Amino acid sequence: MGRTVVVGIISGGIYGLMAVGLVLVYKGSRVLNFAQVEVGTLSLYAAWEVTTAHHMPWLAGAAAAVALAAVIGFLFERLVVRPMGDAPRMTVAVATVGLLTMMLALEARFFGPAPRLLRPPIAGLGVNIFGVFVSPSQWLSLGVVLVVGVGLAVFLRTTDFGLGVLAAAEDPTAVRLVGVRLSRVSTFVWVASTVLSAVAALLIEPTVGVIAPGALAGLFASGLAAALVGGLTSLSGAFVGGLVVGVAEAMVGRYIHSAAVPGVTALVVLVAILGVLLVRPAGLLGKAPA
Amino acid sequence: MSLLSLEAVTAGFGSNLVLHGVDLAVEPGEIVGIFGLNGAGKSVTMKVIAGVVPARSGRISLLGSDITNVGPEDRVARGMAHVPQGRQVFPGLTVEQNLRLGGYLLRKENRARYDELFDGMLERFPILTERRRQLAGTMSGGQQAALAVARALVSDPKLLLVDEPSAGLAPSVIAEVGHILRQVNELGVTVLMVEQNVTFGLGLVNRAVIMERGRVVYGGDVATLDEQRVGELLGVGRLLKSHVSATVSKRAARRPVGRTARRPAPKR
Amino acid sequence: MTGSTVGAARPSAALARLRPLVAGRRGDILLVTVAFVVLPPLTHHAMPRLLKGSDSLVIAQGVAMAAAALSLNLLLGYTGQISLGHAGLLGVGAFTSGILTGHHGLPMWVGMPAGAAVAAGVAFILGIPSLRLRGLYLAMATLAFGYAMEQSVFRFPVLTGGSAGVPLPRRTIGHHLLLDNAQFLALSLLVLLGLWLLDVNVCRTKVGRAFQAIRQDEAVAQAFGVDVTRYKLLAFTLSGAFAGLAGALYGHGIGFVNSETFGFQLSLVLVIIVVVGGAGTRGAVVAAALFFELFPLFIKALHGWDAIVGAMVLMFTIARHPGGLAGMARERAEHRRAREARRRAEAAGEEIEDAGKLPSFAIPTQPPRAKGVLLETSGLSVRFGGLQALDGASIRVPSGGIVGLIGPNGAGKSTLFNAVSGHVRASAGTVQFLGEDVSALPAHERARRGLARSFQLIGLAKELSVRENFLLAQHQLAPYSAGAALGYTPSVARVEASLDERAREAIAALGFERFTDTPVRNLSHGQQRIVEIGCLLATGPELLMLDEPSAGMSPAAAESLAERLRDLPDKLGRTVLLIEHNLPLVLGVCDYLYVLHLGSVLAEGKPDAVVRDDAVVRAYLGEAV
Repeated sequence: MGRTVVVGIISGGIYGLMAVGLVLVYKGSRVLNFAQVEVGTLSLYAAWEVTTAHHMPWLAGAAAAVALAAVIGFLFERLVVRPMGDAPRMTVAVATVGLLTMMLALEARFFGPAPRLLRPPIAGLGVNIFGVFVSPSQWLSLGVVLVVGVGLAVFLRTTDFGLGVLAAAEDPTAVRLVGVRLSRVSTFVWVASTVLSAVAALLIEPTVGVIAPGALAGLFASGLAAALVGGLTSLSGAFVGGLVVGVAEAMVGRYIHSAAVPGVTALVVLVAILGVLLVRPAGLLGKAPA
Repeated sequence: MSLLSLEAVTAGFGSNLVLHGVDLAVEPGEIVGIFGLNGAGKSVTMKVIAGVVPARSGRISLLGSDITNVGPEDRVARGMAHVPQGRQVFPGLTVEQNLRLGGYLLRKENRARYDELFDGMLERFPILTERRRQLAGTMSGGQQAALAVARALVSDPKLLLVDEPSAGLAPSVIAEVGHILRQVNELGVTVLMVEQNVTFGLGLVNRAVIMERGRVVYGGDVATLDEQRVGELLGVGRLLKSHVSATVSKRAARRPVGRTARRPAPKR
Repeated sequence: MTGSTVGAARPSAALARLRPLVAGRRGDILLVTVAFVVLPPLTHHAMPRLLKGSDSLVIAQGVAMAAAALSLNLLLGYTGQISLGHAGLLGVGAFTSGILTGHHGLPMWVGMPAGAAVAAGVAFILGIPSLRLRGLYLAMATLAFGYAMEQSVFRFPVLTGGSAGVPLPRRTIGHHLLLDNAQFLALSLLVLLGLWLLDVNVCRTKVGRAFQAIRQDEAVAQAFGVDVTRYKLLAFTLSGAFAGLAGALYGHGIGFVNSETFGFQLSLVLVIIVVVGGAGTRGAVVAAALFFELFPLFIKALHGWDAIVGAMVLMFTIARHPGGLAGMARERAEHRRAREARRRAEAAGEEIEDAGKLPSFAIPTQPPRAKGVLLETSGLSVRFGGLQALDGASIRVPSGGIVGLIGPNGAGKSTLFNAVSGHVRASAGTVQFLGEDVSALPAHERARRGLARSFQLIGLAKELSVRENFLLAQHQLAPYSAGAALGYTPSVARVEASLDERAREAIAALGFERFTDTPVRNLSHGQQRIVEIGCLLATGPELLMLDEPSAGMSPAAAESLAERLRDLPDKLGRTVLLIEHNLPLVLGVCDYLYVLHLGSVLAEGKPDAVVRDDAVVRAYLGEAV
């Protein structure tokens, strides 16, 4: 049982990062970014290219992944989201579907459908906590998740620009009236979320095992469920939501075998998403609508 | 030169043209009130001055420069500050964070000046010092009103735009808000406000402007207003003559405010 | 917008002669019969000379995709309900048909309809959350549905034999298998044709109009008597049936399906096809689907670049034209028509803009019958969270005459209207209409009992034309069932013809013939208001509730409106309840006034007395502080 919870927390932290990325974009542009996770997958391909094809260390690959994600986020916001201005949010969401399709097409064109493998950053023995064997990769995940999560929270709450981002999510008009430029907020939000996606992908890759087009679709569903638990408007809620979904998936997976009920984690995610949407759209932790 | 001037400004939403040629001038040091029935276009005028709604034709100038096509963020940079309708403080942020956002531009330009003003605000509004770390969304309407005004003042503005300050507030709180706005004006900030409550508004401003169907149709110093005309434009049938006179004379008789928290003079 | 009314210009004489032959149900049946007779031998003989057998199969798959696109178009394009898990519904149809034909040896013509039926049932269930969820939230729920179907349900061993999948033999009679790809293509085309015709029937009846109204403005749909709940579920069910059929067709084409056939990517492709083609335009959507499936067939050299370019095209099309390619074409056609109309009007010396003279609203419609007190509210209260918007408001509206509702901003006037019409739930108090307690009835039921209301921002479906809005407004005068509508029975055709005639008469009475096919959003604000009031009168309501009708009108038009409003009781015997801020208008027009302040009635009486009331003056001018 303890093992299950620890495993759940570790994967939950990664879901949390993905969820925070989703919520950032939702708060900033009122849009659900359907390409969120696939940007991470494409970044993994970049990491693979750098480390495997060019024989550079893992960190160089990670840097390449993050850089590529940032560039994609920046370009998409500048070339597609911003020109759409006040277009209906569903239409912008469909544009992100276009981005998703493009990611998949790029992956297929340049790398083909055969799965790739990324060598994990740290090999070696793990450590025992509560009778749970925690591998170095999982340690790394935990550490990175904490650093990134806390770092982002600190940035948003203590810097002027960060406050502007938070305020813009609550009231875009009022925040313009104090002089904050929404265009800069928008750029930040999209770049930050794609970078978070790349980081989450790098961290979850050892667990998933392969890099293939659409391989991380489950991460999108879990990240979405986590974001909804947090109410789509609360960043800390999204993170906690990730932990909740991670632990729930781990527990369900332990007690219900996939042979009997295939894709049981998918069902858990479905029930979680539908449940939250129908019962309390504000999420378990978000603010109730006025 | 007027501080703010609007010339033949039109504006609207989609097929619906709301402003049909607004002419307005605000001189430095005045408190001017815009009044009118609902649908007259008062709020839209404020939004056009703020830059949130674009003017379709006409000209808006601030201190002589044409700002008709300038965005709201840049108008703030040029010395406009806002107390929006319903206050619109940032509910998820603390009082201190709200004030920091109010000084978003000033903090980059002149940090020392911001610090001065910030301390001045805390001194003038003790309630804000008390609740410095409290979330703005948990404060009462009156406290939020104080915060909204402080947030606007902390940017060291030349022109303060106030949209319906009395809306949604209890009468005693409204009185306090009026008090604050009068003090702000006495310290040298020009105030332009839109107000629904004519009684309160006429008691506060020195000049009134009345809008009807998207145009300014009447205006003048409060003491010289024709009550009959005001009644026809704002009232239900014939206005009780005594009502307006009583309001105006009450204001004239009011003694100057006691100890005024002085806004520190800018260091040159 | 229906495919048949896009860019409708005056038909040439030749076409006019041809129309009686092919329009209507008789024409449809003729078309289907001809196709049924002609297509199989045509494909059997001609196709092999033009295409390889395998190419026929690819085309058949394209046709199946086109059918799937039609199903999503019905849901997303017409009704505005987003579905990101539509592949799940396709899969339900395919797996059902596969189990019946592959595992149980039944023929295709049992399997495929069964697939449609089961998918319709699943879609109905999927539609239930749609009653409470909108936009992005609905997208997420349908996404989760599709995901769960792909990852879990389609892998249940009990249903599918594990992830190995289900075979779909093309069984026709007994053991005879239709292995000829060309003939299967003929079958696919027939199915597509059938779905196309059903779609046409949806669009030219009240069903399609109700769908469109729901997409554009649910409150307005309810005010016109549309039961939004029923029609949303109908949209899902129909879409599911179409999707099940398309999925079964697809499955029988390739002969085998497993959980990966109907995955998330397929749902996305469908959404892309529908949106890029132009959501709401049947022809564009079918063309886009065929193009999507068949284009790679002809350009094999591009090797993956086509997908990349396609995605970029999608993104930039959406960015600039949310209406898709069909929307772009439609906009251009509209601009051209508007320019021509303006040129013609200028040449004829007509005035184009709203000159200020309003029509007489003498629309031929049934006269009011009720007498006595039409409307009575008693202690009506509405609470929004912490705000008491309406606090024990009691008003009475007797028949014949105009009752005005005035009060300063925030007094609760619109809330009172919403509580009376049923658009907002009252927290206390009752509403009696024509002697019946309607407090518990939903808005569309109150509308059907003769309660008509206008909206501040114009209560019309703004994308639809003036004529279509008049048809929509008469929704409650079309008593036929959805099934009859799908079949476009002769009685349905008769009802539609009479609705159309009444619409044209109304438009003529307003003097708006030149705007008959113009989308309402292209009219000026004042003209839209006129159309709205005309639509409200079309069903002969007992009580007309008008919410600030003069807002946004020029002063001259507002004066003319005052006269026309008096016509309503004086010449047409109608009763009106009116909210207005324009006090001179109110004083000139109303027989009785209620003054609302802070949610309750402050004063009431004849206008001259009310305006002199001290309390009323103070309410308008504000309290001293």
